[in-house]
Amino acid sequence: MLIQVDHLFHTYTPGTPLAHTALRGVSVEISAGERIGILGPTGSGKSTLVQHLAGLLEPTDGWVWLDGVAAHERSATARARRRRVGLALQYPEDQIFERTVFREVAFGPRNLGLEEAEIAARVRWALEMVGLDPAAMVERVPFTLSGGEMRRVALASIVSLRPEVLILDEPTAGLDPRGREELLARVLAWQKEAGATLILVSHNLEELARVAERAVVLTEGRVVADGPVRQVLSDGESLRSIGLDVPQPVALLQALRQAGWEVRTDRLLAEEAVDEIARAWALRMGCRRESA
Amino acid sequence: MNMLVPGMYVAADSALHRLDPRVKMGAALLLTALPFAAPGLSSTLLISVFVVAVALLSAAPLSALLRTLRSVFWLGCFMFIFHLFTTPGQPLVAWGTMTVTREGLLAGGMQIYRLCLLVIVASLLTFTTSPSQLAHGLESLLGPLARVGLPVRELAMVLTIALRFVPVFFEEIEKITKAQRARGADVRSGRPWQRVRGWVSVFVPIFVKAFRRAEELATAMEARGFRGAQHRTRLIELRLTRRDLAAALFVLAVGAAALGMDRWM
Repeated sequence: MLIQVDHLFHTYTPGTPLAHTALRGVSVEISAGERIGILGPTGSGKSTLVQHLAGLLEPTDGWVWLDGVAAHERSATARARRRRVGLALQYPEDQIFERTVFREVAFGPRNLGLEEAEIAARVRWALEMVGLDPAAMVERVPFTLSGGEMRRVALASIVSLRPEVLILDEPTAGLDPRGREELLARVLAWQKEAGATLILVSHNLEELARVAERAVVLTEGRVVADGPVRQVLSDGESLRSIGLDVPQPVALLQALRQAGWEVRTDRLLAEEAVDEIARAWALRMGCRRESA
Repeated sequence: MNMLVPGMYVAADSALHRLDPRVKMGAALLLTALPFAAPGLSSTLLISVFVVAVALLSAAPLSALLRTLRSVFWLGCFMFIFHLFTTPGQPLVAWGTMTVTREGLLAGGMQIYRLCLLVIVASLLTFTTSPSQLAHGLESLLGPLARVGLPVRELAMVLTIALRFVPVFFEEIEKITKAQRARGADVRSGRPWQRVRGWVSVFVPIFVKAFRRAEELATAMEARGFRGAQHRTRLIELRLTRRDLAAALFVLAVGAAALGMDRWM
């Protein structure tokens, strides 16, 4: 599905002393199958933007088009388009309400009007996708689960909608490092298999570097950078100017470069940086041996 | 948040915001009772002019103020219809045993008008007085009752906490509603049973969260050594200034004038 955001403005509680403009003319185009990371400091409008993509908010001005249909409209076509978008808000475990994990994950598919057999198959599949064992989980009471398990159940309840566009707003906030990595790896594997669009909102730059191909940077409700993730995330000056930092591997490589090393600084992942440093090291050693 | 919730405090710096909460609460009480105690046309006019003047002083946006009236729409309709058919007088229209009288129309209209005044006055109080100020004011006003064993300070604490969490509660409802809509829940449209299911999916998480929050708050208060209300000192000490006294006297004068107008005019 093609998502077009066209000069989108959003103001909360307009016309009151609490009025707050979260988006000021955002334009982005997202094609089917892209993996996009949205980053920006707190209060930059990331969450507002993704809620617009799911048609949950009405633009104050501008448009959000899902395959050419306005996302927030009440028409049947708009509703059908919205159903192809799955959005997990921040702390999705807050939305859990059912008596069993099965019913919780089945809520979305049931709202889609699917048959029982299909619903059961989707629940199993969704639980497996987020790394939970369906056989052990389906009868459990969600409120007795651990925080990490509740997060996964909540994400499974979105994934079970089998969206063409999956939007995750800070999905790993509050998870331990291993939980983060595993969850993202699974989401990534699913995205590649299903050919879905993945939109990830995160403060965690390493995480974005690992998952996204393209990065969109928001600050104060405006898009200040939009391009290949490697390019955007290694641009230390721009990132620092809006209060963000470069990923640690980039910071290390930049420091080495300043110390006179011949290294590329657009290596975002730790393992890439290790390879880059090893290559540069071998080169230096080689030079020294030759001159000796 | 997409709306001004009735009863929400709007931080600003206006003459009304700076007034002592006790004066505001007393004035609000007087102004809500007055239209019912002084039902005449001229006194109602006087009170209306005064309320409008106060609203202008409050820096509260007029549209938001008027929007709070929506909360009593059905009550207003009910009251109007009730008066319409039960007031005896000169008949205008009659269906069988039901008669609409000229007096009924007037009385119903006046009743709605008074109800609106009441809501506006109450909203003005909460728009311009922070929850903690309200609680301090109440504590101070009810102070004498502590001697007869009423746990005034504890009540004030309960009130502060309850008021403090009203906006949080509304935000929470909005967030969960969005989350469930994203899962295809029908909260606004759809068949009745679908809507009921939609609302269940919103309210269960809200209650779960509210209980959890209450527990966390209790733990946090205990961890900070909160032990009831004995011998507590306060950050905000209420002190009546000359301006507060002047405002109180002025409100009393308006009240007296309204009552007098009905008697002698």
